[in-house]
Amino acid sequence: MLDTVRSVTTPELIEVQLHPAGLLPRSLAWLVDAGIRLGIIIMASQILLILGNFGQGILLLLYFGLEWFYPVLFEVLGSGASPGKRALGLTVVNADGTPVGWGPSLTRNLLRTADFLPFLYAIGIISILFDKEFRRLGDIVGGTLVIYRDPTGKLPAIAQLDPIAPNLPLDRATQRALVAYAERAALLTTARLEELASLVPHLARSESGPQGMARLIGLANYLIGRRT
Amino acid sequence: MKQELFEQLHNAEWKLFETWLATSPTRKKRKKDAPPPPPSFPAAELPHRYRMLCQHLALARDRDYSLALVAYLHRLVQAGHDRLYGVPAGFAMRALRYAAGGFAADVRANRWWVLAATLLLFGPALLMMVAIRYQPDLAYLVVSPEQVAHFEAMYNHTGDTIVAREASTDVAMFGFYIFNNVSISFRCFAGGITAGLMSAFALIFNGLLFGVVESRLALAGLGHNFYSFVIGHAGFELGAITLSGAAGLRLGMAVVVPGRRTRREALRETASSLIGMVCGLAAMLVIAALIEAFWSPLRLDYTLKLIVGSILCLMPIAYFIFAGRDHGA
Repeated sequence: MLDTVRSVTTPELIEVQLHPAGLLPRSLAWLVDAGIRLGIIIMASQILLILGNFGQGILLLLYFGLEWFYPVLFEVLGSGASPGKRALGLTVVNADGTPVGWGPSLTRNLLRTADFLPFLYAIGIISILFDKEFRRLGDIVGGTLVIYRDPTGKLPAIAQLDPIAPNLPLDRATQRALVAYAERAALLTTARLEELASLVPHLARSESGPQGMARLIGLANYLIGRRT
Repeated sequence: MKQELFEQLHNAEWKLFETWLATSPTRKKRKKDAPPPPPSFPAAELPHRYRMLCQHLALARDRDYSLALVAYLHRLVQAGHDRLYGVPAGFAMRALRYAAGGFAADVRANRWWVLAATLLLFGPALLMMVAIRYQPDLAYLVVSPEQVAHFEAMYNHTGDTIVAREASTDVAMFGFYIFNNVSISFRCFAGGITAGLMSAFALIFNGLLFGVVESRLALAGLGHNFYSFVIGHAGFELGAITLSGAAGLRLGMAVVVPGRRTRREALRETASSLIGMVCGLAAMLVIAALIEAFWSPLRLDYTLKLIVGSILCLMPIAYFIFAGRDHGA
């Protein structure tokens, strides 16, 4: 399979699909996080270094905390994503799709040391490139996945048109394609919609242009159960 | 049933679930001025409503309802799944229970690994201590002459003041010890994934270094200063380094000999049984850093420091032998 979807069956016997995220978005997320951490350190050092030795000690503690526990705290308490991951719509979950807990999160972040070797995450990058689900060593050992999570799914709305009963039997795939076409109508330009309609003359009844498009949406209206 | 009717029948339930997800916070909000709006249904109804959604998703998939509807229900199910199977509460309680005995039980369960790490750390140390007393130049195999001079200067103080340095320096050193030692131990554990080689190297190198420092200072006649400084935190610090080495070695063994599991599965299981111990040893290093920064530099009477130091040194050993015998019973 070329698709990078991992299907997980929950205890309710429903399949949940996880979409693992690849190297590029993860690298970008890391860069964002690195920038945030650097910013915190620079700002804190401006204040703390005035305090002399005492401030230096606090600064080292802060640096230590940011280096090891910054991702862990965000992953466990911030619903699975550090600010960088959030910016790119990524989330860390267990391999079975459940939110990540303290143990796995700590493991995957401690193993960053191993992934970082010999320089700049070389081993981690190789591991991500070779793994089917884009996991670095820390993910493998911690049993975690970095996935896309899109929280903006809206209930679909199909434009109200007079429903048209199909004049020939339609198989399941065709029905599904028709409804998907009508659902996405709002996202596509009229020219593109008409072009798509002209690709299925047997459904559009060779009606070209706006009529073909309207006929397809009318069919979709019929298929989802609208009747005049 | 057609999709349109299906949506009309259940739309209200889905919307209710959606608003519940948006309004009911995962944990207590910090803001005090604005009380959160009451959730659209009591939390006790979550499992029931979530299973209902699962059923709707299954129906939508089976009846070939549109992709967007399936995606919408899938998102709701996923969010409900996250809420239902989220992080278990009571983190502080679990940590406390672990400290009260689980940690010691874990260490005893891994005693052969701890023994192996102990040999790798203290074997080279003892070897160096004996060897350098006969041939002091052997020290330069491990460290440079400048470093030896630096060590000797560090412990070469005369006992005229009680405190070795200002209080603010203590805090600076505390930060440094935490940063340095805990990072080393974390790396020692994570490095175990290289078939245990990096962990073994860290143990042997630190053992050799310790042996060199001890024997060169003893030869330079600074033994008293050295022992009175290190004995207080030695138990916690060396114990924690040994444990991190043991954890690393065991992780490495999961790579080399995974047994009747895939390597990934072996690594995952081993790591999840070790992560508690790694947290425990990090806590030990924090205690060690406290002692090292605030007690060890005090220049008190040599016998007093030895007595208190020995007690501190024996504390972790006693803990590992006696604590948590009934843990998990």
